[in-house]
Amino acid sequence: MVQIVISSKAGEGPAEWLLVELQGEVVSRQNTGLAGNLMGDLHYTKEGVPVLIVGHHILYGKQVKLEKPFETMETNQENPTSYTVSALIKKKLIFKTRPKPIITNVPKKV
Amino acid sequence: SAKYCPILTNHKSMESLFIHLIIRGDKDEHAVLCNEDETYDLKIADTSNLLLFVPGCKTPDQLPDISASPQLVHAQIWGFSNCYWELRRQRPRLKKLKKLLMENPYDGPAVGMQEEAPGPKYTMDDLLERIQASREEIEAHLQNVHACEIDGFWRILDFDYEMKLLGHVTQLVDSESWSFSKVPLSVCLEELGSLEPKSMIEHCLNCYGRRYSNEDGQVIYALDEDKVCRATAQLLLQNAVKFNLSEFQEVWQQSVPEGMSARLDQLRGLALLDRSSKPETISLLRIEDLPEDTLERFNSLFSLREKWTQDDIEPYIQDLCGEKQTTGALLTKHARSSVQNGVKVYNSRRPIAT
Repeated sequence: MVQIVISSKAGEGPAEWLLVELQGEVVSRQNTGLAGNLMGDLHYTKEGVPVLIVGHHILYGKQVKLEKPFETMETNQENPTSYTVSALIKKKLIFKTRPKPIITNVPKKV
Repeated sequence: SAKYCPILTNHKSMESLFIHLIIRGDKDEHAVLCNEDETYDLKIADTSNLLLFVPGCKTPDQLPDISASPQLVHAQIWGFSNCYWELRRQRPRLKKLKKLLMENPYDGPAVGMQEEAPGPKYTMDDLLERIQASREEIEAHLQNVHACEIDGFWRILDFDYEMKLLGHVTQLVDSESWSFSKVPLSVCLEELGSLEPKSMIEHCLNCYGRRYSNEDGQVIYALDEDKVCRATAQLLLQNAVKFNLSEFQEVWQQSVPEGMSARLDQLRGLALLDRSSKPETISLLRIEDLPEDTLERFNSLFSLREKWTQDDIEPYIQDLCGEKQTTGALLTKHARSSVQNGVKVYNSRRPIAT
């Protein structure tokens, strides 16, 4: 039988990360892959509403406390049957509304 | 490169899960996650949503309230995923534990110059390697099956040997005219130490009695009437397929130590009564001999008997209940009910080959 050990980093508690949940997929403009690219801008309104701008779309979301928190884990280099808990996620920003296109240049009717 | 895989936890106290978790499972088993005293089922869950992980990203409540100038903070998305592991608390798979220990039951010290016959033996670490349960759950089950540690190995006693030890103790209690609740350890070890190893005598007392200290600091045991009578019943019932109930009750009462009362309610989960047959009968049916999986357990019970009353079936399905689940809910889910002779009975939802 396999036994995989998961432990937390000695001494420290886990870091807290944020989860951002989007509907659908995020793709890069020319399909060049996502790594290293700017995804978008995250803003918060005065009321604390998260607003995400991706490409020329704007999405409105809300902050939700996770009923069941997530933990993320990474494998240990030397020992593949050992995982370390790296972060704890207690809340998320969920964007469920349909993205609205931001139109900055509306051609005038001639 | 490091691989991140999120695990969704629904543990009430998140912090305790950070201490030490172990994922256990053989190739053909579903993986389970264990901490010190609990076992969880691990299932992968898919979502059509995209989950992005952003370390250190702040939410409005965490940002300082500076309305003066806008702030730009760079945050990196660590990674993303479409799926995660979901944890669900479950009862540990412990049937394998008894099965392993029964490969080589202990029936007393080797006689004379002989070495004990070779056979598989397991240490606690060996058990942790093989059983999908947490350490505490394994330790509790070892106590339930009356296993003991001999030379570093966990051994289950051969039932006849266990009854032999119990017999020595109860005979001594009788000859010394002790009260069942005041059995002194030291005298037992002294008087019986020549017949059996002292560690075995003490183990027997631990299994069938409650240990405490009296005012003089002496170690005393209070024998458990229910456990003693139950073991005696098993010894009788394992000798035949079925017994005439009234005859059995007579023999059983005569077999238990004088002063103890043998009662049918002591046999829940051990024996099955058939009150519909003439004469009424009783047979051995131990819950530990039945399948561990819920569906298989119900199939097995319904092939033994077509219709069950809730009272009869309850001891055989009690352990299947999930957290906050009742046996009634379990029956609603896995059985069909009807009324027979004014009594509510349950039968299988599917055709059973008997």
